[in-house]
Amino acid sequence: MTIPMVAGAGLSDLDFEKFREYFYKRTGIQFTAAKRYFVDRRIDACIQSSGHRNFGGWFAALRLGDRTDLLQDLINQLTVNETYFLREDYQFDSLLSEVLPRVLAGRGRPGRPAGPVKILSLPCSTGEEPYSIALRLLEEWDQIDHVDVEIHGADIDSAVLDRARLAVYGNRSLQRVPKPWLAKYFTRIDEDRYQLDGGIRDAVTLAQVNVCDTPAMRAVQDFDVIFCRNVLIYFDELSSRRAAENLYGALRAGGFLFLGHSESMSRISPIFTPVRLPEGLVYQRPTGAK
Amino acid sequence: MGLVRRDTSPQVGKERSQAPAYDLLERHLNSPDPELRREAALELDGWDEAVPALLGRLDVESEPAVCDAILTTLVGHDIGPVAARLVGHLAGEDTGLRIAVADALAAMPESTLSLLPDLLVDPDHDVRIMTAMVLANMRHPEAESWLVAMVRGDAHPNVVTAAIDALLPSARAEHAPLLQEAMRRFPDDPFLRFVVETTVPRLAGTYR
Repeated sequence: MTIPMVAGAGLSDLDFEKFREYFYKRTGIQFTAAKRYFVDRRIDACIQSSGHRNFGGWFAALRLGDRTDLLQDLINQLTVNETYFLREDYQFDSLLSEVLPRVLAGRGRPGRPAGPVKILSLPCSTGEEPYSIALRLLEEWDQIDHVDVEIHGADIDSAVLDRARLAVYGNRSLQRVPKPWLAKYFTRIDEDRYQLDGGIRDAVTLAQVNVCDTPAMRAVQDFDVIFCRNVLIYFDELSSRRAAENLYGALRAGGFLFLGHSESMSRISPIFTPVRLPEGLVYQRPTGAK
Repeated sequence: MGLVRRDTSPQVGKERSQAPAYDLLERHLNSPDPELRREAALELDGWDEAVPALLGRLDVESEPAVCDAILTTLVGHDIGPVAARLVGHLAGEDTGLRIAVADALAAMPESTLSLLPDLLVDPDHDVRIMTAMVLANMRHPEAESWLVAMVRGDAHPNVVTAAIDALLPSARAEHAPLLQEAMRRFPDDPFLRFVVETTVPRLAGTYR
């Protein structure tokens, strides 16, 4: 999961306000004054790594947009990525037992869907979520030999995507992975680290996207299931609404959206239909909608 | 069968090479295709000149998803004239649109708060009930004091009940006399009595 990080020290109040407004417009992520200390520290790090000598020069270059690496470095610094395999696993239970059967039923006879089932993990951070989905499907979904499944992961942070592609994880990240799965799908590369099997890494498509960016999200389409967990709570109301609209547009009619357990779409947007499943709520794009 | 990689279009993360022109988006806003209308409404974000077209489309739009997209873009224009036009829908026949507009107004606190003096004396009590719903969802420090004013002063029991319901999540012991007074003002309203009688004991010990 990639979420805004609390932040900093060193900018004038005016500089902080200018920065805050700029970053919000570019990403939808809002920092309150309470996060000031942490923001300042990370901006200082960005200024130093950029080669600029002060905030003014760095910020001018950032806004000019000639060096896209400046913005990306900033995003990477100001987001925090902490997750682990099989996190909030009950939602994967729900995916297998309730949601995927409905997806197949909605597209014709089970086992003969019109095309691959498409699943998106957004934000996918360092890859634990999309790879967890892959492992659960391979190990526990009885239709996996009869249905093609595409799994996509997306995140605003390019650095975490690089780590997701490498797919090397420590014990903390893997603590919930059953030992037989660890032996079957991972290669131990040193005392504390394991790398995920290349076949699974290759099967998951990773890309950079900002869920609040409507033009970019227009290219994210036709998904049957989206996991967007524990990120909307970090947005203000307008950004949340916009993200909800973009997620709606990324789903097929009848597609399902999983949010984090503490998030509620009804406060964000009335366009989804809440569906109560044994394991909890999931949100569905209405089947009547195009 | 099994896991497959698909890098062919449509792809995640590949932006469209060129943004659509304003004229095209405005045409799409009135397309017979609701998905095209919804997408156009979202893509008109940031175009100030699109506000009249968006407000006009909202007046005639029947597809909830399109209405919601229009409102999402309009929420970005937290200015008096936009909020004033949206307020007109609080008295409309379409329940879904009324609720969607109330949610949108709650996300536009600067302009909505300036309209409250008029909304609180609107002759249509249904509009005042919707106003309580707006305040219930508004994350603004002044929202609570406006709800207190509604509980204290509105003449219609349903409006007072709606305002109490909106106040409850933030209600504290200091609000107990306000709620009890509301119950005394409307002794024949069983629902209001039920709400107050079940709420007041829970407020004990909850001070700001």
